[in-house]
Amino acid sequence: MSFDDYKGAPMSAHTVRVERGATSRFAAAVTDTNPVYHDLRAAQAAGFDGIPAPPTWTFASTFLGACAEEQPPDPTDGKGNPMMAIMSDLMKSGGLVLHGEQEFVYHRPVQSGDVLTSFGRINDIYTRESGGKVMTFVVMETVFKNEKGEPVVTEIFNLIHRR
Amino acid sequence: MARPVLKLKADGIEVGSEAPAVSHKLGRTDLVKYAGASGDFNPMHSDEVAAKAAGLPSVFGHGMFSMGLLGRAITDWAGVGNLLNYRVRFTKQTWPEETLTTKIVVTGKEKTAQGNVITADVSLVNEKGEAKLAGSARVLAA
Repeated sequence: MSFDDYKGAPMSAHTVRVERGATSRFAAAVTDTNPVYHDLRAAQAAGFDGIPAPPTWTFASTFLGACAEEQPPDPTDGKGNPMMAIMSDLMKSGGLVLHGEQEFVYHRPVQSGDVLTSFGRINDIYTRESGGKVMTFVVMETVFKNEKGEPVVTEIFNLIHRR
Repeated sequence: MARPVLKLKADGIEVGSEAPAVSHKLGRTDLVKYAGASGDFNPMHSDEVAAKAAGLPSVFGHGMFSMGLLGRAITDWAGVGNLLNYRVRFTKQTWPEETLTTKIVVTGKEKTAQGNVITADVSLVNEKGEAKLAGSARVLAA
């Protein structure tokens, strides 16, 4: 497959439960002792209904809050995440895979009790040459929606293969 | 419906003003904690033997730990729940024993349909001034 064939390709879909144990532990792991992440009374005083999740939590959420029986159908029909195929193809000739850029767009707060469903796809793939190195950029977008289908967070994840 | 309390007041903020910096000395325990709390068990971050076997001087920090630390400084300043957009470019790896310091500098203010929005350049630097990540954030203010 050429790069163009991958543009727009679905990667993955997940349903995640936002649980305060997982979000509080995540907050602590990024050194955040703000009581809104650890005490419901503080969270409510700050305007939340539940314990909010830290800004970068959704990036890890599929490892933390996914229950097997709640998962949506695989959007790749069993073929697997095409990003893995692209990267393993590139790595056949060596090189390094780097997390180049990361962006979060926040539409609504993420709080304990939310059940979010994410859908990821490949937005773009392109190659650049710089300083004698060939860099291949894979730009992926994942949108998390709440149970009403409203967007909550959009993540844009840019992986670079450098050789 | 959650309505996060606004912490910043647009009136009191000028272009060029800085948010309080957060400094943190990165330890190997931070790497292990972040691995466990995020589910990212890439051995280059948590297994010194494997990292050295791969030719690295030691384990190195997760880029997303750095983004989380910088995110903490942004929400300490603007209040949790008031971020609209947060993006970074990862420029250098972080290493144990480095002291990482956040830098948040206001670049603009605008009135939008969502309310007052403050834009800032954000970065995380070590004690030598090397940027580990750099980007921007947009936050709501009263």
